[in-house]
Amino acid sequence: MPPEPSKTTIMQFIDIDQDTWQMSAETPNAPAANLLLTSAQWRALRESWPAGVPVGLKLANDEGVEDVAADLPRFALVALHFPKWVDGRAYSQAHLLRARYRYAGEVRATGEVLVDMLPLLQRSGFDAVVLRADQSVDAARRALGFFPAYYQGDVRETRPLFGRASA
Amino acid sequence: MYQYTEFDRQFVHQRAAQYRDQLERNQAGTLGDDEFRPLRLQNGWYIQRHAPMLRIAVPYGEISAKQLRALARIARELDRGYCHFTTRQNCQFNWIPLERSADAMDLLADADMHGIQTSGNCIRNITSDGLAGIAPDEAVDPRPYAELLRQWSTLHPEFAFLPRKFKIAITGAAEDRAAIAWHDIGLQLVKNERGEVGFKVLVGGGMGRTPIIGTVVREFLPWQQILVFIEAIVRVYNRYGRRDNLYKARIKILVKAEGQKFIDAVEAEFVSILEHDAGGTAHLLPQAEFDRIAKSFALPAGVGPRAGAGSASDFDAPIAFARWLERNVHAHRLPGYRAVTLSLKRAGQAPGDTTAEQLDAAAAIADRYSHGELRVTHDQNLLLPWVHESDLQALWKAARDASFATPNIGLLTDMIACPGGDFCGLANARSIPIAEEITQRYAEIDELYDIGEIDLHISGCMNSCGHHHSGHIGILGVDKDGKEWYQVSLGGSDGSTISGASVPGKVIGPSFAADEVADVIEAVIDTYRERRAANELFIDTVKRIGLDPFKASANAVRRATALEHAA
Repeated sequence: MPPEPSKTTIMQFIDIDQDTWQMSAETPNAPAANLLLTSAQWRALRESWPAGVPVGLKLANDEGVEDVAADLPRFALVALHFPKWVDGRAYSQAHLLRARYRYAGEVRATGEVLVDMLPLLQRSGFDAVVLRADQSVDAARRALGFFPAYYQGDVRETRPLFGRASA
Repeated sequence: MYQYTEFDRQFVHQRAAQYRDQLERNQAGTLGDDEFRPLRLQNGWYIQRHAPMLRIAVPYGEISAKQLRALARIARELDRGYCHFTTRQNCQFNWIPLERSADAMDLLADADMHGIQTSGNCIRNITSDGLAGIAPDEAVDPRPYAELLRQWSTLHPEFAFLPRKFKIAITGAAEDRAAIAWHDIGLQLVKNERGEVGFKVLVGGGMGRTPIIGTVVREFLPWQQILVFIEAIVRVYNRYGRRDNLYKARIKILVKAEGQKFIDAVEAEFVSILEHDAGGTAHLLPQAEFDRIAKSFALPAGVGPRAGAGSASDFDAPIAFARWLERNVHAHRLPGYRAVTLSLKRAGQAPGDTTAEQLDAAAAIADRYSHGELRVTHDQNLLLPWVHESDLQALWKAARDASFATPNIGLLTDMIACPGGDFCGLANARSIPIAEEITQRYAEIDELYDIGEIDLHISGCMNSCGHHHSGHIGILGVDKDGKEWYQVSLGGSDGSTISGASVPGKVIGPSFAADEVADVIEAVIDTYRERRAANELFIDTVKRIGLDPFKASANAVRRATALEHAA
């Protein structure tokens, strides 16, 4: 079984201008490094995708993580999307990726990603975010600092407070 | 009641600090109003008709005298001197300027209080039986479980942005005083034949535009598994609940649409968590954790079974005292003790409203007669849980002097009402003037007694904060052409014994004009008094004779709507 995600993972703030991952509206003709594919594009290419070429998957928030579970070890990155920031489906997707399928690659939040989502994102398994263009990275880092601990367990610290107290 | 640990105390202060940061960013213009909105809502801050409204959590209704005094201070220093207790056992302020909102959160945190998840599309404050832990008909005290659920649901990272709000109610008694079937999740604690404690679990109840009674998904879930089972329910809801239509986003719509498939999905998710998830068994509740929490709910120091003092049969006592004993004093599981309701239903004040002076008076009464503890009840009253029988007469005098002794609990004027259009930005119509007119019309206590037990529930809009669906008589404010109109329904039930199985009431014809409503209620009550059998309650007469006689008498008092109705 793959290792559990690290509890000390640092949140990466992706600068979109420096980002190496590429998306394309058309299904690419051939595998190439660092393509970020939709699940439909991936299905078209998965049979022929060579093991050594890094590939990422972009899941819409109404797609099931379980439907791509078998291929997860092949992805270096899974990008989960927030079409609106108050649409919380991607938190459950991230939780399933990490807790249920032990996905150890990068889990990235895209779309309407705002400063005040950071504590939730980090705790449900995201380790990278593309903040909406108007958001401040400094404010986002600060948002991660208000609570040293929580009651319930999460993806990073699976034990609830009562499990930690008695450990 | 629950005693905050150092962790709890720091946590509410951290939350207050986080909120202050958000407020400051909003005021500095770096956090837009639209983006601040869900953040302030999850701390209890609405923007209402006149000013922001603050909703403060009173977890499962338990509140201390010290906390009431903190509310009184907020009422005086930040508000216009009063607050409102709600059907969900919370407390609301209506006049605090938003720029003072972070100060209010600091004051609350100092009193072990907060507004966490009292609004927003998240798991809301958990409600319970107003007599939890003291009711003679209780199989299991729900409070430790409610507290475990409170802690688990507080700032849950995965479930902060659900399709819609999510309400959990829990009871451990035979009589349902928490209306559990009307909640997104309803929990009834039971013991099985081996004496083991577990939950009967209902999912998908709710009011609003589409009233639905919850579906039983488990007859007996071992208590140790409750957090995991609720995680499974809420995850299925978060993934599959509708987000395209606000009115179809509650879990009741998903449960109704999917039926058994929903239950199967929850059960499969539950098994997957336990068998596959990293840390999936970490939220099974150990006995030691239950015991740690339950310690807070031990009897207050000095409380224990005692001989009664027999003051209830005092021959010299006035009739008003006898009536108060009958209506406002309730049986207790401990010999020698009674639970006492402080009625917040009196002419001149909206149902559930309390001034700072009354809050202080209630705190003093609780300190003197109830070990400093009170409850906020689902019916928008305060309740003293630990009153010794020998104190009843003195307590009655103190309650009377502080305006809390109206002997009307369970009667017509002990109505439930939301703040309505006088305060609420969502309301279509006002509730308070309707409540006031009915209260004044039925000020005569003999008449109230003659009418007997009846649930009158008033909501200012379809959001149903005043639970009109579950009233024996329900009044709903509706908006037509920018004017206030009121639908009246009969025969609803909250699931209590006298009301029967939970069911929404049925509307008796087209809406009434505001100035017709009190006449309609009087006509409906008069019809009951004419048609009732001996000792028959209102709800039973409605069930026996049906709606038509009531409809006819209600239509007979139409004035403004008479023409429209005839056409």
